[in-house]
Amino acid sequence: MKITRSGSIAAVALVGALALAGCSASTTSTTTSSAAPTSKVGLNAIDPSLTGTITAAGSSAQVAAQTGYSAAFSSVATGVTLNYNPEGSGGGRKDFIAGSLDFAGSDAPLSAAETTQAAATFPGGALDIPVYLDGVAIQYNEKDASTLNLSGSTLAKIFAGKITNWSDPAIATDNGGKALPSKKITVVTRSDSSGTMQNLTNYLAGAAGSDWPAGPNLGTLPQITGMDLQKGGAAVATEIAAVDGAIGGVDHSALTSGATVASVDGVKLTNAGIAEAMATGFAIKPNSTPGDLSGAFDYTKIKADTKAYPIPLLSYDIIPATFKDAAKKKLVLAYLEFIASTDGQKAGATKANSVQLPDSILKQVTATLATVK
Amino acid sequence: MTTQAQTNYSPSAQRTLTTGRLPRFIEVWVAVAAIAAGALVFAGFGHLDYVAGWLVLGAFLYLVAIGILASIVEGRRRATDRFVRSLVFVAFLLAIIPLVSTLWTVVSHGITTLTPQFIFNPEKAQFDRATSETKLVAGVWPAIVGTLVITGIAAVISIPIGLLAAVWLTEYALPGNPVRRIVTFLVDVMTGIPSIVAGLFAFALFTLLVGPGTFNGLSAAIALCVLMIPTMVRASEEMLKLVPLELREAAYALGVSKWRTIVKVVLRTSVAGLVTGGMLAVARVIGETAPIYIAAGYTRTAFNADPLHGAMSTLAVVSYRNYIDPDPTQPAVTQAEAWGSALILIIIVVILNLIARVVAARFAPKARR
Amino acid sequence: MTATPATAANGGGPQNTGAPTRLAAMKVSKVGDRVFLGLSTGAAWLIMVILAGVAIFLIIQAAPTIGANWLQNTALQDRTSGFTLGYANFWAYVSPLLFGTIWASFLALLLGAPVAIGIALFISHYAPRRAAGILGYLVDLLAAVPSVVFGLWGIVVIRPFLGPLNDFLNTNFGWIPLFGGSVAQGGSTLLAGAIVLAVMILPIITSISREIFLQTPSLHEEAALALGATRWEMIRLAVLPYARSGIISSVLLGLGRALGETMAIAMIVSPKLIFSFQLLTNDNPTTIAANIANQFGGANLTQANALIATGLLLFVVSFAVNFVARWVVGRASTGPRRRRIPTRKASR
Repeated sequence: MKITRSGSIAAVALVGALALAGCSASTTSTTTSSAAPTSKVGLNAIDPSLTGTITAAGSSAQVAAQTGYSAAFSSVATGVTLNYNPEGSGGGRKDFIAGSLDFAGSDAPLSAAETTQAAATFPGGALDIPVYLDGVAIQYNEKDASTLNLSGSTLAKIFAGKITNWSDPAIATDNGGKALPSKKITVVTRSDSSGTMQNLTNYLAGAAGSDWPAGPNLGTLPQITGMDLQKGGAAVATEIAAVDGAIGGVDHSALTSGATVASVDGVKLTNAGIAEAMATGFAIKPNSTPGDLSGAFDYTKIKADTKAYPIPLLSYDIIPATFKDAAKKKLVLAYLEFIASTDGQKAGATKANSVQLPDSILKQVTATLATVK
Repeated sequence: MTTQAQTNYSPSAQRTLTTGRLPRFIEVWVAVAAIAAGALVFAGFGHLDYVAGWLVLGAFLYLVAIGILASIVEGRRRATDRFVRSLVFVAFLLAIIPLVSTLWTVVSHGITTLTPQFIFNPEKAQFDRATSETKLVAGVWPAIVGTLVITGIAAVISIPIGLLAAVWLTEYALPGNPVRRIVTFLVDVMTGIPSIVAGLFAFALFTLLVGPGTFNGLSAAIALCVLMIPTMVRASEEMLKLVPLELREAAYALGVSKWRTIVKVVLRTSVAGLVTGGMLAVARVIGETAPIYIAAGYTRTAFNADPLHGAMSTLAVVSYRNYIDPDPTQPAVTQAEAWGSALILIIIVVILNLIARVVAARFAPKARR
Repeated sequence: MTATPATAANGGGPQNTGAPTRLAAMKVSKVGDRVFLGLSTGAAWLIMVILAGVAIFLIIQAAPTIGANWLQNTALQDRTSGFTLGYANFWAYVSPLLFGTIWASFLALLLGAPVAIGIALFISHYAPRRAAGILGYLVDLLAAVPSVVFGLWGIVVIRPFLGPLNDFLNTNFGWIPLFGGSVAQGGSTLLAGAIVLAVMILPIITSISREIFLQTPSLHEEAALALGATRWEMIRLAVLPYARSGIISSVLLGLGRALGETMAIAMIVSPKLIFSFQLLTNDNPTTIAANIANQFGGANLTQANALIATGLLLFVVSFAVNFVARWVVGRASTGPRRRRIPTRKASR
């Protein structure tokens, strides 16, 4: 009897927490782009006569946004279906290189080796197209700290297991010298590889330097004793909410309603802050494939901008530079052009609780898509 | 019949038929006392609300008490008997709790989702142009079809192979035949193949034969075949062995050929058991998740009933994916799909079982009761 | 063809020889017989082919990573899916997984198998007949509950349920290494995983052992009772010896499921690649199967090969376990033999 009762209480709590995910206080502000859509972009530009199925797979961070993009796209081109399998970024790139996908969703651009492999599959190689912007929230569960600020180096020390107690002076220093009561810190993170951790470690390596010896671009955090690993981003968010003294990196969009989120380097997590970080900190650094739009964040620049939230998360769609099938090319390009429009970004960001890409990036994406053969 | 028994007690005396017996409802009283004691202990610790805890402790105390009581009053043999019976009862009660709890968890979470709209439609995403909002409407029809197609293909391949192999083992191969011994052994080994290995096998097979990144229903069905065939062989072998030898001999004596004897007499006689075996084999694989996800991929909204081309969803995979990746703006929809598809899966198994029973009852020859 | 109609798998009896043999040999010459014999022989051989196929295809996919030096392989040192990062070779990566697989399966069997056999005995020999039918059906049904459901159940029911127990065991019995360490507050412990795993293997062990128990010749049982045996003595003397090899088979099947169980462990347990016997912490060894389920989606091509190599090892382990167990069963069953009483139909 006890079993079922406690079970259903937990389940109700879980469902309730998830049900309220949409109402996170930190997601209310929006950054609608200023450029007014002209008649031939966005939803108006979609050819209603398009038909077919787009097969894609990869990043699970993108899945909700892809639902939004494709629902909007199919509202005009009713004959088009998107089949997106959120198997994981690595799997998406793997299957894309194997030639079985029309595009891959990936939280990381192709690696050097993968770029070479992709060039063997597709004449002219493959292009990384930025499509999805969000931020990594530092969610914590410490009742004594209704607000919390953490600097990059403190965060790095927490995630590396160097700071293990909430009463640590480093945390006090970040919060105006006010020390928290002693309580053990439990770091919660994902057991599978994820773009969330990759973007988080990029930030830690960029902002904390020697305090984060593990380096950037890590899909999984190095395991430390006592670290709590959960499968999937939603499970991490639920776990942090349940464990007293827990902290962890969570997709901004996966935050649940009661979640308490720390400021990083004095900046609160807001959509505007993420967009600001993208605008000031992101620079395209293409790989060897002409037209590639992969890039990186300059965390020093972001830190200098007091309005920019320092841990943005950028996700790419990877497409062939040359399509073999003309019909497929028309379909996939039409879809990606839509994603790169304000309408498309708005549809995705509304569905996923994420942030729209700035116009400067969207313009470059549109220009690149025009070069695809 | 009990009160004076205790006075005869003497530790060294051999027990006879006339030794004492515990009162008839002693077990109930001891159980009540033990659970009460368990509750008291937990109350002492300040955890009276931890019902399951004191039930477990109570069960333990009960076993100890009944063992001691019985060995004092009834002697070693009867005490052992009573103790074992209590142990079996307690094991059963303790084990049935999680099993029922599992079913209850699924039913209670899933029952409200089961509407015709949910069952017979794919998940729909409705885009509102004015607000840019996309509203999801839950639906699992593609997963139901995918489950039936993949499991169906696996069953169509595995059940005949398994049955024929069992026929060979029981009807044709001599007990001393080395191939028979090898096949029997390999079937046993095959029953122990972890399901993930079967999934990896299908993945490797299609990667090498068709090309990397091949996801389709057939691949998943082949993974399931690896799991189903041995189950089917074992189940049907057991059933065929139960067919009385006299039936075969009678058929031969009437001049019936061997294969007709097997088909008309042996298989016919054991049809009920074979159908049950087939159902168990299906039930064994219908809820597999990881191998199917590895082999068949996953499609969230697209309806695909073609096992040869493109990713296919099954109920178990849909349940898993929706739990792992809840929709950020409409988590209720993905939660509903996660629990609803799990419940539908269980319901499908129940329906299959009922069909199997009806079939078995119809085709089984009128047997002695 | 020297086929006999005699079925009797183990032993057989005097009735196996004689007229039916010759008659059957005569009839086998017919076309229908040939076809049927060919089909069934083919099916038997096909099983060997399939098993060989499983091994061969896994080996082909796994081979590139088993002997390789992982540190020099850029794909295996891929940071974005960093689960193979820093491991020198296949064995360094797989040994903690192998440990976790065996440890978790052992715990599950330890918790589950006795209870499962207890339930089977209850259904076959203690429960009232009508209740037994319903209970048997319920257990069969549970064998079909998908592993995802057990995973979900583990998260929403078992984790919170074990919370106070974890604290109690850790506080009072923390000096035992099993219960030592610092308790996982979220409950993602190996204990939770092992309990769910034990529950998952219950139905399969129970439904097979129950079938075997029910097949015990009633004459043996009645004979034992007639000699004045108590019910337990009857079970010990008549049922258990008869069912011994069947029980071992069912436990092995349960072990197979425990070894290969993916989702429940992947969803419930906080997994690390470590050697640890502690049951109540966040630092739990994980299993090969759960690790594959966890990492396969994020893996690049070479990492997928590495995961298939771990799967191959799992296959070898399950093969070896079965092999050893068969050998043990083979030795054990030279004692009391299974023999059918032809006049009795199996009660179901």
